[in-house]
Amino acid sequence: MFKHLFKLIWNKKKQNFLLMSEILFSFLVLFAVFTLLVYYYNNYKKPMGFEYQNVWVISYNNSFKTTNTDSLDTYYETLSQNLRALPGVKEISYCSDNVPFLQNTWQGGANYKGMQVGGVNQYTVDDTYDRTMTTQLLEGRWFNKADIVAKNQPIIISSDLKEKFFGTGQAVGKLIGDGDQPGHDKKLMKVIGVIQGIKAKGDYAPAGYAVYHRTDTGSYRSLGKIVVRVNEGATAAFEARLYKTMANYMKNSNVEIEHLTNKRVDANYFTLVPMIVLIIVGGFLIINVALGLFGVLWYNINKRRGEIGLRRAVGATGSSVSWQLIAESMILATLSLILGTFFAVQMPLLNVFDLAAGIYLVAMAVAIIFIYLLVFLCSLYPGKQAAAIYPAVALHEE
Amino acid sequence: MISLQNIEKVYRTNTVETLALNSISLNIAKGEFLSIMGPSGCGKSTLLNIMGLLDAPSKGNIKIADQTTDKLNDKQLANFRNQKLGFIFQSYHLINDLAVLDNVELPLLYRSSVSAKERRQLATEALEKVGLANRVKHFPNQLSGGQKQRVAIARAIVGRPEIILADEPTGNLDSAMGNEIMDILMKLNQNDGTTIVMVTHDENMAHKTHRLVRLFDGSQVQ
Repeated sequence: MFKHLFKLIWNKKKQNFLLMSEILFSFLVLFAVFTLLVYYYNNYKKPMGFEYQNVWVISYNNSFKTTNTDSLDTYYETLSQNLRALPGVKEISYCSDNVPFLQNTWQGGANYKGMQVGGVNQYTVDDTYDRTMTTQLLEGRWFNKADIVAKNQPIIISSDLKEKFFGTGQAVGKLIGDGDQPGHDKKLMKVIGVIQGIKAKGDYAPAGYAVYHRTDTGSYRSLGKIVVRVNEGATAAFEARLYKTMANYMKNSNVEIEHLTNKRVDANYFTLVPMIVLIIVGGFLIINVALGLFGVLWYNINKRRGEIGLRRAVGATGSSVSWQLIAESMILATLSLILGTFFAVQMPLLNVFDLAAGIYLVAMAVAIIFIYLLVFLCSLYPGKQAAAIYPAVALHEE
Repeated sequence: MISLQNIEKVYRTNTVETLALNSISLNIAKGEFLSIMGPSGCGKSTLLNIMGLLDAPSKGNIKIADQTTDKLNDKQLANFRNQKLGFIFQSYHLINDLAVLDNVELPLLYRSSVSAKERRQLATEALEKVGLANRVKHFPNQLSGGQKQRVAIARAIVGRPEIILADEPTGNLDSAMGNEIMDILMKLNQNDGTTIVMVTHDENMAHKTHRLVRLFDGSQVQ
């Protein structure tokens, strides 16, 4: 029977071409949507890498103008002591502007033994950043004062960068270049620790590669953020006091306090909005395809009433006629999906968008199942209608 | 072979009730070639459909090949039609998207016991019988009306049924072609002992058969 149906479809290839194209097109759109969804879901499942709750970010512009580095250090050291003295502050840390969930980015390259990667997030942080952000140390240690005399600049890398360069091996003690190309390094940096990657762009974005540099003498000039871990349930009154402390200390500086909990929601919007738009567009497309399929199949059945009547006359049961029509649709879907899979499989093969092959494969499988389900459901009712055709009437109509 | 007792067929709508067949009783012996005649709308095709189990009577009993058919379910009816009956229609009812051989194979597709190889062989034999062995790969729209009807006959006999029901098989053909078709049917009846019931408007064709039944307004008048 399968061969018979295949022959029937093949001999009607011109009529089936549009239907097959429609199925192929919807598969490709679904594949794109599901790839994005699987990618986001995979990212969502991964740990955030730090605890953003009860962390506030103070933005300021450096208003203390001095060429004396010691004075600068003293100025910021005093500020940190003042902040720590506030009841309700657990820990504070100076860091570069690219605080997680904020839209600031600072990226560079890194290389190790001829292997080079770009798009490495570069963070400048101090010795208390790990306690303030509650990062998760996987290997080695965090920065301390002794690092100031190290021969090679000590760095801490994210788990993703460690995996890229060292796989499952140890990273601590290894020297990493800071250039995009080997041999063009300004300096070699020594890995002293590995932390769980931080998803700085929100729940649905990957943690990505990251290198953490320790603040050194004079680097306060280029910093513009203080992250503050506050006690749970910190009030607006406390926020006002914190603001007042900052404003009083940093005359002529614009001070702004933001909560990472709110910034996380904003960061997630950046990912969720295009995803929701795509899902809505994809949803409309699927509804159109479903209605199209339904219409075409229904039209085909009405066009084939004589054939259905004949099949009933020569020995087909109502249910076998129904299943034949469903099987025809499924074969058409299979032919479209074979072609669609050929195109879809190029994505992991050519490493388009630098996503893991597993994401494409899962998306492909889900899109295939979805298409089969859609075609099955769309052909179920017309198939039932065909089964209900009375053979004597259908044969007489012809 | 076919026994009809007091068959009545009534078509009902919300407002109208039409009596298509009125108390028809008919016995057709094995190997008989019977023709049914009558004016348009007298119930000839309805009677043939009831004999072919494509339609159910409103009243009366049917017995075909010693089998009472009123209690059979859809699957049993389909199986019965497939095994015992062959159909020939005025408008041929060939599937235009299938080649001649595939059209002839169609009834055997619904017999799970027949292999693909056997199907092919039986279909080729049936086409040889109707003189179309050289047209197996042609499509119906490449054939003349007479050839199409011969393909339809091959399809009707491929499963070697005991009964052939032909609804105006020569109705769409000129007299020469009609005679050719009639000859094939008569040979099938004489050589293979196939029981044939044929609806026709053509007196000449009807007189070639063993017996003629005339209907008028749903009743048997001869």
